[in-house]
Amino acid sequence: MASAAVWNADNGFVDGILRGYKSGILNSSHYLNLTQCETVEDVRLQLSATDYGNFLQNEPSPISTSTISEKLTQKLVAEFDFLRTQAVQPLAKFLDYITYSYMIDNVVLLITGTLHERDTHELLDRCHPLGVFDTMPALCVATTVSELYNTVLIETPLAPYFANCLSAQDLDELNIEIIRNTLYKAYLEDFYDFCQKIGGPTAEIMGDILQFEADRRTINITINSFGTELPKEDRKKLYPNIGRLFPEGNAALATADDIDQVKTACEVFSEYRVFFDQAVSESTMEDKFFAHEVFLNRLAWQQQFHFGTFYAYVKLKEQEIRNIVWISECISQNQKDRISSYISIF
Amino acid sequence: MSESTLFRSEEMSLVQLYIPSEIAQPTVTELGELGLVQFRDLNPDVNAFQRSFVSEIRRLDEMERQCRFFEKQLEKSEINTRALTTATYYARARSAQEIDDLEERLREHEVRILQMNNSHEKLQRKYLQLTELRHVLRETAVFFEQAESRQDSIRNLFDNQETDTAPLLERDVEQANFDGTGLNLGYVTGVISKDRLPTFERVLWRSLRGNLYMNSAEIDEPITDPVTDEVLEKNVFIIFAHGREIISKIKKISESLGGTIYSVDESPDKRRDELLEVTSRIEDLHNVLSNTNQTRRAELLKIAENLTAWFTIVKKEKAIYHAMNLFNYDATRKCLIAEGWCATRDIPVIQNALRTATESTGSNVSSILTELRTRKKPPTFHRTNKFTEGFQSIIDAYGIARYREVNPGLFTLITFPFLFAVMFGDTGHGFLMLIFALYLVLNEKKLARQEQDEIFSMFFYGRYIILLMAIFSLYTGALYNDVFSQSLTLFKTGFAWPSNFTTGQTVEAISLNQTYPFGLDPTWHGADNALLFTNSYKMKQAIIIGVVHMTFAICLNIFNHIYYGNKMFVWLEFLPQILFMESIFGYLICLILYKWSVNWWELDASGNHIRNSPPSLLNTLIYMFLQPGYVDPKDQLFPGQGPLQMFLILIAVVCVPWMLLGKPYYLKARHSKHQYETVAGDEDVAFDHEEEQDGHTAANEHHAIDDEEEEEFEFSEEMIHQSIHTIEFCLNCISNTASYLRLWALSLAHAQLSTVLWEMTLKIWFYYTGALAVVGLVFGFSLWFVLTCAILLGMEGLSAFLHALRLHWVEFAGKHYLGDGYKFEPFSFAQALSTQ
Repeated sequence: MASAAVWNADNGFVDGILRGYKSGILNSSHYLNLTQCETVEDVRLQLSATDYGNFLQNEPSPISTSTISEKLTQKLVAEFDFLRTQAVQPLAKFLDYITYSYMIDNVVLLITGTLHERDTHELLDRCHPLGVFDTMPALCVATTVSELYNTVLIETPLAPYFANCLSAQDLDELNIEIIRNTLYKAYLEDFYDFCQKIGGPTAEIMGDILQFEADRRTINITINSFGTELPKEDRKKLYPNIGRLFPEGNAALATADDIDQVKTACEVFSEYRVFFDQAVSESTMEDKFFAHEVFLNRLAWQQQFHFGTFYAYVKLKEQEIRNIVWISECISQNQKDRISSYISIF
Repeated sequence: MSESTLFRSEEMSLVQLYIPSEIAQPTVTELGELGLVQFRDLNPDVNAFQRSFVSEIRRLDEMERQCRFFEKQLEKSEINTRALTTATYYARARSAQEIDDLEERLREHEVRILQMNNSHEKLQRKYLQLTELRHVLRETAVFFEQAESRQDSIRNLFDNQETDTAPLLERDVEQANFDGTGLNLGYVTGVISKDRLPTFERVLWRSLRGNLYMNSAEIDEPITDPVTDEVLEKNVFIIFAHGREIISKIKKISESLGGTIYSVDESPDKRRDELLEVTSRIEDLHNVLSNTNQTRRAELLKIAENLTAWFTIVKKEKAIYHAMNLFNYDATRKCLIAEGWCATRDIPVIQNALRTATESTGSNVSSILTELRTRKKPPTFHRTNKFTEGFQSIIDAYGIARYREVNPGLFTLITFPFLFAVMFGDTGHGFLMLIFALYLVLNEKKLARQEQDEIFSMFFYGRYIILLMAIFSLYTGALYNDVFSQSLTLFKTGFAWPSNFTTGQTVEAISLNQTYPFGLDPTWHGADNALLFTNSYKMKQAIIIGVVHMTFAICLNIFNHIYYGNKMFVWLEFLPQILFMESIFGYLICLILYKWSVNWWELDASGNHIRNSPPSLLNTLIYMFLQPGYVDPKDQLFPGQGPLQMFLILIAVVCVPWMLLGKPYYLKARHSKHQYETVAGDEDVAFDHEEEQDGHTAANEHHAIDDEEEEEFEFSEEMIHQSIHTIEFCLNCISNTASYLRLWALSLAHAQLSTVLWEMTLKIWFYYTGALAVVGLVFGFSLWFVLTCAILLGMEGLSAFLHALRLHWVEFAGKHYLGDGYKFEPFSFAQALSTQ
């Protein structure tokens, strides 16, 4: 309670801004209007009636889906950067933590791309702008894991997470995947600890969100590892040591051989049962994960005086971008029967 | 038809327009120029992009984007567009053919500009590269020289060593080795932006484990990026390292970090040649670039001439199609059906405009205008001019008047500046304000054309308010006899000072038995009891003004009651209200006037006082309630005061239940009577039926839906409403009267502040003589004048304005103003163009 009393002294302004941003998130009636659009031009018109306003007005028609996606991301990044520059500690650190996951994605994207000898600049364009850091382009030079660490990553915030990956030698598909998951595991655990240290409602809400995130990763790793040469002991090492499944569920998953065993391990929690229900709807497991994530992020708004809303806003906005891009893709490719499988946020 | 006044808003009619679709666009253009019709949305359920003219709007959006693109290009090349003159402002919207032409023209221009931009960019990039290369060559030359000299010195060192020490074995081998390393030393040269340099260095150092020699120098010439047009600061770097692997790694790193690599030859001669060549190429390129720029500029200049006009046309066209999207399309008759509000008086003008549109297009089918009967609430339209506009907006800011209710804006014209002036009474300040207001008013045409900032435009908008406020302050200032806190003796004063007195003695002015003809006698100025006198006078004046003002507001209710057909409310609401008010506060101002008119110190023939000492009115009013019917003979104002007060209290007490119960019971009785009627007649059904028979099926379908239903009558609700209203009224009578005391308080504050300012800044210098007095007066006067303008005119003026505003909104409007209407916002191009 004491923190609630003085919370606004430091964070009131950014929180006010954020809640203003949040009210600009599209609601179901907006989506309903969007799905009725006949062309991508209609989507543009429809979006201009929302909080996005005239963000597309200087784009020559015909407009492409990628432009829309790019502009949407730009807007999110601009908003995030504004919040980041206005934030004071520990919120600033918290916001930095949000960017780390994008950094991990970017790092993995770049080394995978370099492995396949793609053009560096093309790869850089595809990186998420929230996860860009100064020395990032130099990643293309690295050929071994230790080189990667010593040249570039050592001065990024990711360095401590990377310390566990140094045992891997060559950069190949499997190793990259392992690196990604190890990084994520370390990142999630670190972020979780950080949130717990902040305490109060932040710990509670971010705890829920991050635990689900960890569980989702655990389940995904398990399912994706079926049929690969990844030994079970190594697989177990990739599971984050947080989450609702930890430790019993993780132990069960570590020995799982097929999807049914995964299912039994997860069915302890009734919320997780729906993920494996194929009969209920046609949406994929990924979609159901997203839906549950949106649900958790939406819950974050029910409380005051905590940082969870910042995380939730970025994630919800990201989902919104995915939704809009999905809808415009469906429209431009004439797949209107699949248009309704977006995840409505509010 | 009656002349339009500000007393009530315009009579409005709901009209229906049948516009043949082929002449729809020119007709709407004509209506847009007129700006007299407010169209209703006939397709409220249709999505923005499903409306009929979405494709046209999209086309115009595209054209607008092109115009914006040109605007940006013009801005970049620093070409001014022609200013918006009234001629282009009112330029008519164009026909479809012209729009097509314009679209074509815009597209051509855009393509040309884009092409030129493209080639310009390409050339610019080439130019940039060459410039960078030139710098690389120039800077690396320095590095190489340094490196060579260093090598030489090292070699010298070695040589010296060799000569000093005895020749050793394998000397030749060592020498050879050394030379070899010197020759094998590879290098990379290039350019990288300045902010990336530290990162670059760090990454290089780490990945090569420090096995490199790096040198960098700033490029002093600013380099502009051809894409973003930003000035970039770049650095030339040269890196010496050993081994082909490492060199290729360096190249890779520098490329990935956004650097550009330029290879430079090792030998100084070749470098010199290259430098010469590069310089000549730059020269050539420069010529080509300036040529391209020239043609681009010419093209842009051509665009600049017309751009404003294009913007206007496109905006107007867009407004037209947006308006047409509100219409209904009747497919069977090939015509658009529009519905909208317009002032009844303007119908002939609109019909005329429709005819003009039909004739100008040469069509033989004309548009038809019919008036509809409706029970929808019409919008409120006050026809204002430049003088009344500001005053009306004061009222509109509080709330838009209900359709055709009494408009307080009319009375605000005078009461507002007057109440302001009561608080701002000073002839000198009023005069300064008058000069400012006259400047704004006399130059209004010129000023209106200029670009104004936010604050100035606010003053400009209220220029007539300021003018009237200034004139009224002159008047009240004359009444208070205040000119910059000094008094003016224009007439013969009514008092004389005794001539024989010693310093320090209190003297008393002798009445000369004549009254100063206008305003406050100047003798009061500087008197010991001046404040006592002005206080008492201004306080009473404030109460009188307040009660009169509020009484007037209550009386305005009569017009509303009669106009809305509630004649009974005059007896049930207005009468108790006015009686309540007058029996307490009306009586009070009678007392004030009576007290003023009586000479309390009058003596009879034998020299005794005829009357008792003047009683305090405040106590009189308080004891009127505390001891009804009884007045202490010592405090008596006039004989028979006790019974009269008793009677007045009785009236006030009776008024409360009268107000509370009269209206709700009347409404209840009326409602139950009305119910029997509807069952018998069923008017509504007949009305709808009739319309349907007319066959306006498409447009009328929704009528039944959004015609407002008569409100459900609920007795308890009405009762609660009325009891709140009654309590509020009774309490407000007291609190609002007290609220008018702000007139006194602010007027006093203003006078005191100006006195203090006068005494502290200017008056002190009057006691000096000689040079000090001159310097002091100049300094003192400037300080006094600046502070007068800033504090007394600016701040005090704003505060008096604010208080006058409050008195109008709360005390005056609260008594009668319903203010629940909505504003008439006609479709007009002037509106569409001004909101850019």
